Amino acid sequence: MQTRLHFAALLFTSIAFTQVAQADQLATIKAKGELVCGTLGTDEPNSFIDAKSRQLVGYEVDLCRAIAKSLGVKPVIKQLAVAARIPELQQGRIDILTASLTHNKEREALIDFSLSTFYTGQRVLVKKSSNITTIAGLAGKKVLTVKGGTQEPNLRKAVPGVDVVTFETAGQAYLGLQQGKGVGYVDDEVSLLNNYAKLGAAQKDYLVLPQNISQEVFAFGIRKGEAGLKTAVDKVLRGLEKSGEAEQLFFKWYGPTSNVKFQKRSFKIDSDKIDA
Amino acid sequence: MLQFDLNFLLSGDYRDWLVSGLLLSLQLMAITLLLALPLACGVAVLRLAPSRLLNAVGAAYVELMRNVPLLAHLLFWYFGAPELLPDAWKERLYAGNIEAVSAITALTLYTAAYMAEDLRSGLRAIPVQQFEAGRALGFSFLATMRLCILPQALRLAAPPLLSQTLNLWQNTSIATVIGVAELMYQTQRVEAASFRSVEAFVFASAAYLAVSLLLAGVAALLQKKVA
Repeated sequence: MQTRLHFAALLFTSIAFTQVAQADQLATIKAKGELVCGTLGTDEPNSFIDAKSRQLVGYEVDLCRAIAKSLGVKPVIKQLAVAARIPELQQGRIDILTASLTHNKEREALIDFSLSTFYTGQRVLVKKSSNITTIAGLAGKKVLTVKGGTQEPNLRKAVPGVDVVTFETAGQAYLGLQQGKGVGYVDDEVSLLNNYAKLGAAQKDYLVLPQNISQEVFAFGIRKGEAGLKTAVDKVLRGLEKSGEAEQLFFKWYGPTSNVKFQKRSFKIDSDKIDA
Repeated sequence: MLQFDLNFLLSGDYRDWLVSGLLLSLQLMAITLLLALPLACGVAVLRLAPSRLLNAVGAAYVELMRNVPLLAHLLFWYFGAPELLPDAWKERLYAGNIEAVSAITALTLYTAAYMAEDLRSGLRAIPVQQFEAGRALGFSFLATMRLCILPQALRLAAPPLLSQTLNLWQNTSIATVIGVAELMYQTQRVEAASFRSVEAFVFASAAYLAVSLLLAGVAALLQKKVA
């Protein structure tokens, strides 16, 4: 029994620490002829399954395709769970993370980031019947959100003493709010507004709290130390910004004709720095 | 790659999260067990009752529970079933710990179906003449069951019931999908906050393994005693 246990422990740790050894990832990507992008697929309009075509589409999916095209390889879009994003990247099962990924200081210790592709904040949606009108009013109340992202820590930072319940997908958390299983639902501004838009006539019963609980900057995740790939990705992103294609893509997914109806674009893709 | 380091788990917030998760998992198991055992007895008796209709009810329950994955049961009892209640009940239920209530409901109904089958084999191992003797002495079906057959059957079924408890212990981990803050939930929380997946899951695996081995040990002891 003892030796068998030891063996199991050894096996477990050796699997956990196995890493794919590669000289230069950019060369490997070009050699195999495909760029594997990891997306969520559940976060409209960044990446989601189009109801008509049943294809994965969205802002980040289009950016992934543009990067693959510039590198002269085939884009492969792979769906990931929120919590699995960074481990999947570290273990080499995907090449870059295009998955509504917040760029923050904690994560800089683990992975590298491309130029920032989107600037947003996290918001709270509540039912009007709860009589909550400010972020502070959430203290001691049950608030629902998705597991494994920055939503939970940001919410706890913004509202000490809040009771957070997390789910596998943002959709489940949002369903929980609709059913009354919590007073609020927290998500990235765009996803939240998008879900709010889908409420239709029921919108009158809900309120998007006016304040953000945090500022978020999205960027693409790249494995640590892959300078070649980062330079290449950043170069493509700069090119898209310069040609105006990046702005077109922004308005295609976030503009006045989309669910979230942003009238203007208040950022440019030109920096990979974030505020502390 | 970061170095493997369990120490950061053994103090501060992360330890508190994991310990509270472990305690909640143990509570889930204990409460479910207390509720599932009597229910399982009822279902097993139904399946052996002298009525075709009752037999069918018992069989239908067991098949319905065993042929749907536990995950589906959990999602149903959390997102589905409570919505069918009248609004006033719903509000009262949602104001409390609906996550744990749904998890215990799903786990109890699911576990009881498996335990009922173990109990049924225990019941069938008692010679039918004992049952006939009970009836001949004037006891009713239920009285014969309660006083003569069930106590012996429970003793015989104890080892398989413990092995079902082992399954139950591991199944509590699925409650994480409906937001119950048990061990797996807290492990994922530590992972999301620290990105130390290996350490967090080593802790969780060790905790599950330790409790499982304990249960398996008790089952082995009982097996020796009963046999």
